[in-house]
Amino acid sequence: MAGLGLVLSIARDALAAQRYGIDVTSHNIANVNTPGYSRQSPVQVTKEPAPCGKLLLGRGVDTTQVIRACDQFVENELMQKKSGMTSYKEMENYVQILEQLFNETSETSTSSMLADFWNLWQDISNNPSGDSERIALYRKSEMLSEHFTRLSEDLTQLGNDLTSAINAGINEINQITDEIAQLNAQITATEASSTANDFRDKRNVLLSKLSQDLNIKAFEQSNGSLTIVTARGCILVNQNSSYHLEVSGDNGDRVVWHSSGDTTVDITNYITTGKLGGWLDMRDKILTKYSLDLDALVKEFIWAVNQQHAQGVGLEGFSTLEGTYAVSSTQEELGTLDSGLPYYNKIKDGTFKIWVYDSSGNVVGEGPTTIFIDANPGGTTLEDLRDTINDKTTNPNLQNLTATIAQGKLEINADAGFTFAFSDDTSNVLPALGINTFFQGSSAGSIAVNPMMDNKDFIAAAQIDTDGSFTSGDNTNAIAIAGLQHISTDIPEWTCNRVNGNTEGSITATIEGYYRSMVGSIGIVSQNISRAKDFNEAMVNRLSEIRDSVSGVSLDEEIANLMKYQHAYSAAAKLISISDEMLNTLLNVK
Amino acid sequence: MRVATKTVYDMVKFNLANITSDLNKANKIVSTAKRINAPSDDPIGLTQVLSIKSSLSNVEQLERNIAVGKSWLSASESSLNHVQKLISDAKALCIQMATATTGAPQRLSAAKAVQNIYEEIISLANTDVDGRYIFAGSETGTAPFDQNGIYRGNNTPFAVKIGRDAMAEVGNDGQEIFQPSGAGGTDDIFQTLKDLKSALENNDVSGIKATICSLDEEFDRISAKISDIGSKMVRMEVKEGIFQDLKLANTERLSRIQDADIAEAITTLKEKQVAYQAALASSAKIMELSLLDFL
Repeated sequence: MAGLGLVLSIARDALAAQRYGIDVTSHNIANVNTPGYSRQSPVQVTKEPAPCGKLLLGRGVDTTQVIRACDQFVENELMQKKSGMTSYKEMENYVQILEQLFNETSETSTSSMLADFWNLWQDISNNPSGDSERIALYRKSEMLSEHFTRLSEDLTQLGNDLTSAINAGINEINQITDEIAQLNAQITATEASSTANDFRDKRNVLLSKLSQDLNIKAFEQSNGSLTIVTARGCILVNQNSSYHLEVSGDNGDRVVWHSSGDTTVDITNYITTGKLGGWLDMRDKILTKYSLDLDALVKEFIWAVNQQHAQGVGLEGFSTLEGTYAVSSTQEELGTLDSGLPYYNKIKDGTFKIWVYDSSGNVVGEGPTTIFIDANPGGTTLEDLRDTINDKTTNPNLQNLTATIAQGKLEINADAGFTFAFSDDTSNVLPALGINTFFQGSSAGSIAVNPMMDNKDFIAAAQIDTDGSFTSGDNTNAIAIAGLQHISTDIPEWTCNRVNGNTEGSITATIEGYYRSMVGSIGIVSQNISRAKDFNEAMVNRLSEIRDSVSGVSLDEEIANLMKYQHAYSAAAKLISISDEMLNTLLNVK
Repeated sequence: MRVATKTVYDMVKFNLANITSDLNKANKIVSTAKRINAPSDDPIGLTQVLSIKSSLSNVEQLERNIAVGKSWLSASESSLNHVQKLISDAKALCIQMATATTGAPQRLSAAKAVQNIYEEIISLANTDVDGRYIFAGSETGTAPFDQNGIYRGNNTPFAVKIGRDAMAEVGNDGQEIFQPSGAGGTDDIFQTLKDLKSALENNDVSGIKATICSLDEEFDRISAKISDIGSKMVRMEVKEGIFQDLKLANTERLSRIQDADIAEAITTLKEKQVAYQAALASSAKIMELSLLDFL
């Protein structure tokens, strides 16, 4: 419409447009610190010109839409890297706790306790009949056992803490996916008619939070909704629906995806980044490996000491004795897995000797009784062993001993006035049954001193001579046990992989050497995690800068824009007053 | 490049966080005076530290073992020195009593002296260190010789560990020293003294003369044993010296790896402090500036 009306309408449109500009600028200024906010700007285009006589006159300005400055590619990159960084940050926190558990710088560290243990056996060798040395060894061994059990408990507790964190994480993930599904609906609805800038920003923030929890891939559909897929292709969000993750498994330690029906998919081993990825890596790869390694080390340590200890004799023979390891079935061969003995695989074909002494200390029957052990299938069972000891016709020298089986453990009792002792065990059946052993248990959580050693005289520092005699000044067995410190044996070492499972390898090392390399290995793992975190952090930082350079609000810029729109507004207002004057002039023509 | 307002503050936060973390680390090193406060500070170094500590512990234990051994050896040496002197006294008495100028009454009183010597030697043979008999082999709980000179110990001398695979005999097989051919044999000191005593009581000059030869042999045997013990002592002392040097070398190595060089640590601390102050100052300056101040 030509004429004065045109100026008024142009002025009106201009005022509106500049006002929209100021509205959008004030929105930007208000949200300068809102995380994930992308600055918005109004798109102002000229209106379609209209013919006016021979001329084509422009009709002013129109604000068509408000767009947000967002580079989705940079946003996606940033999300991925943040996901990696968060995973390393979480791992760093927990691995530093793990490092403290293996803190070797204090006086009560594992390696100093082990060194003291070996030294105390040498002290006993310097005075085999002395009480104070035996008491010192007993106390130290108790402390060492408690130290290992506590370490084992701490590792288990750390694992439980990680599982709780994972559970909390899953709840958070479910909440976020629900919200994203809702936003999807809102965005699809809004974008039917205009742009949904703030909803998209909100969704990006949620998406970023989600990617910090676990690894995801997001795809935008043509209708503007976001489809989010995670490990093993499980869909978390699709259009308006969200699918939840759950905790499952016997120990509540598996993460499963629950479909809309009843199917579940176990995705625990495929979550690679984000907090969950970090926690799962920490728990299932790192913590599991060192727990298994610690147990393997303690199991071997117990065996080494027990095997040598069972070859010796204390200051007096036994009058009654109970083994510490129980079989699960008394009719299974001792040397097989079915026997239920933790050290069944160490039993081999061989013999051991039992010496019985009367009240004056003389050997009954002038000699030992040799018992044969067959470790093959079809070989010696616990019942066989008991029957052999009780067989008074074949083994008359053992007539004053009675063997029984109580709750799977072998018990031997001597008649009043008689004592007995062991020597020359080539079959390893004595330490495997816990007879004449120093420690009991077979893992870091179960190691303890054999209750028979409460009587310190049973600590076997000596060995029985070929004629059955043993003296209080003999330190042969104590020397042999002290010498174990430097003997290398094959100790299992685990490699844990979340996808391929845990494999048991083996290395040859001394007890101390194995522990040292375990501590060193933890240090290296921790170093690597810290370095990876620092690297990722630097990357995230750089990408954040780039993202903010595209989408961030710069107050200086907004202030300048504010001035720009303000001046334009005053000019447009001036247009109205001019147009008003012109109309007045026209109307007042007589 | 366009810099959003947010970026300025984020950078300030990030940089200050990094610098305070470095400052903290430097401070920890200075306050503990140790380079290695956690396995991740220097994993390889820590493994070496543990290994050296283990060696040091071993060496200290071996030193304790040697101390026990030396006490046994010196007790043995001093006892045998006395025994040697007593035998020499007995011999002197013998020679004097074998001359024609002494008579039966003097020989009778000499017999009492010999009895004293006999009992003295028995008691020396039953010397104990901390309640353990040093001439009884490994039967250290029972006195090796009874009043009749019968040996009740065994023939395995007590030994202590002086090296990873080395044992040193520090006890003695009493039988081998005092009666190598068994009780009552021709080289049994106790038997010789008993013979001398009865010869004196019976005024038997040829009997007295006969013991002089045995006494000589026994004296030589004890001398040989004393020098054997002497050389064992020397071996112990040499070992002690080696261990002291080993301890010193290991302690130095340990310190080199695990202790912080204080000068270096403090310089680093100062460096980080200065960096921190500079960062704080520049951050404050940047955060102040805004277009609004000029409008």
